[in-house]
Amino acid sequence: MKPIHFVFLWLLASAAITGYILMSDVPSGAAGMAHESIAELKVGGDGAARLATIGRAPFYFQISTIFLGVSLLYMGVSEHRRDRRFRVLMAGGTVFALFVWYKLYTGYEAYLATGETDLVFGFPVPTAWLLGGVWGSFFVFDLMFVVFFRDYFWPAEDEAAFEALVAELKTKPKAGDA
Amino acid sequence: MEEMRQPIILGSVLVYLLVCILVGLWAMRRTKSAGDFFVAGRGLGPVIISMAVFSSTLSGFGFVGGPGLVYATGMTSIWMAVCSALGYATGFYLVSKRIRMVAEVRDTMSLPDVVFARYGSEAARLLTAGTILLGVLGYLATQILAMALVLQTLFAGTETFAHISLFACVIISTLVLVFYCVTGGIIASVYTDLVQGIVMIISGALVVYTAANVFDGGLAEVSTILLAQGGEDIMPFGTLGTMAALTWFFLFGLGLAGQPHLVTKMMMNRRISDNRIILPMTVLGYVVAAMLWLSVGIVMRALVLGDVGMPLASADQAAPAFLTSYAHPLLAGVVFAGLFAAIMSTADSFLNIGAAAIVHDIPKSLRGRSLGSELFWARVATVGLAAVAAAFALYSFYENGELVALLGAFGWGTFAAALVPVVMIGLNWKGATPRGAVAAISASLIINFTVELMQIKVPYGISAGFLAMLTSMILFIGISLMEREKKLPADIDRVMDL
Repeated sequence: MKPIHFVFLWLLASAAITGYILMSDVPSGAAGMAHESIAELKVGGDGAARLATIGRAPFYFQISTIFLGVSLLYMGVSEHRRDRRFRVLMAGGTVFALFVWYKLYTGYEAYLATGETDLVFGFPVPTAWLLGGVWGSFFVFDLMFVVFFRDYFWPAEDEAAFEALVAELKTKPKAGDA
Repeated sequence: MEEMRQPIILGSVLVYLLVCILVGLWAMRRTKSAGDFFVAGRGLGPVIISMAVFSSTLSGFGFVGGPGLVYATGMTSIWMAVCSALGYATGFYLVSKRIRMVAEVRDTMSLPDVVFARYGSEAARLLTAGTILLGVLGYLATQILAMALVLQTLFAGTETFAHISLFACVIISTLVLVFYCVTGGIIASVYTDLVQGIVMIISGALVVYTAANVFDGGLAEVSTILLAQGGEDIMPFGTLGTMAALTWFFLFGLGLAGQPHLVTKMMMNRRISDNRIILPMTVLGYVVAAMLWLSVGIVMRALVLGDVGMPLASADQAAPAFLTSYAHPLLAGVVFAGLFAAIMSTADSFLNIGAAAIVHDIPKSLRGRSLGSELFWARVATVGLAAVAAAFALYSFYENGELVALLGAFGWGTFAAALVPVVMIGLNWKGATPRGAVAAISASLIINFTVELMQIKVPYGISAGFLAMLTSMILFIGISLMEREKKLPADIDRVMDL
């Protein structure tokens, strides 16, 4: 299977989960309720009740999104540059993103079950995972871009090949009107 | 110092606006051709590009709408911001290198030019230009509305202009914006982006510090107040719930690479190797500036729910009200200038790509060549576009009562759904076909506009933009997979091999 097939697969998975959610019964206040006295403010109500009819579908939805995102990033490196180290790096980044998501979601489920949570850096634990973890887990891929830029994204040979192409085109009529 | 609050704030904003106008006049002398006006002659350095990309991403949507949305709904909208690391990764892994290469080998001036070069389809070029025009109107209206709301708050504190109307503020905002965009085109836009980006980073950092000190117990006290009031708002998915948050993450994280005002800037750098510096600077600049989004929103919510502050008349007043009441006058001055910076840095990009669609792309699709005297008509189109967007902003506010952030989310969704498959995937997959591109753009526009115009509420707060983007991506790949691979022009084929 080529990367584009994986991308297609994860898109279909996201669509299937979304379809399941849209076809389920919608509890009242599923997308929040107006505050009883303060205009423009919304409240969340009973978080567990809001998930009663769709169960863990959001958890699986985000897993699908993480795989989709990584599959797309994988496509961004030319096929002939994707060596074993690159695959290991991408797999490692994916596992980290999944771990963060697992900690966030199970932390939220624990809060829904007990109504209690600790504070870390001034925020409830699951929210701290969101603010630092979710962003950080994808920042890993940004770091890969910087560190391995000359290995995978713009190697000297590609730069030379591109310069050769530009020089060649300058001596010829243009291939087509842009 | 406190009695000087209003003069200091107004003075800071006026100095900032003056700088923008001076940059416009300076850039006018450097703008000699349509190429200079639209893509700055592809000669910009990495610092300018990174500041331009991040400041254009954040916008009035993030600096005014974002805090408003957190005030109104809690943490839900933060998913739009934490996805930035993924969003920029997709932009730089998949688009930055290829779009810059296509721009050089085909001498392109706009995103529709790139789409035409990739697919060889005038229909795809026309639809891309049409999408940009439609999205620009919505998004530009967001920026103008945000700017006018901030201006109105500022004037409200003065004796002379205390009762200035929103209409007058829209006119003033539009005039300043138009002036430096018309005079200096994209050169003025990116150099003011540099100033704006720096102001936004400083503002973001200082506001977080201020917000964390509004309550004696810092952000922990904010969280405790909100947890005592139900708690869903300070938990990771906010009051709108899991699927609203996660579909926004999808739309904003994977949709960044389809934002024409951002990817167009990836065509303007001097060297492709600069991308190695541009990406981290962009991501880190964004993160620092975006802290304003979170900190102001939750503190204002805690103040109101904790019976410390008065409820706001409009959620969009969260940032201006916080600055007027809780920030040191000097800080308020800098941050108010930062608010204007955030708004104007995006608005000028939209005026630029919208003008390119009108005078360059649409005529090229329909009659095979762009308008004569392109530079002159680009300036005329910029004025016309700003006038229409200003009217749309007033209509949205008075007739629909739409929040700045939600109007912005619609604009973002329109671009993401239509252009992500065509640009982000299409530049990395030779099997993508023109028919797939046309179907994807058409379907996304139909879904987005149907849901918006008919005001359909999707269950669980699922974003309409997400539904449109998911559909368009599936259609794009599905249709392309069913078709025979089309032979690409030799230069594009070689670019896609690198």
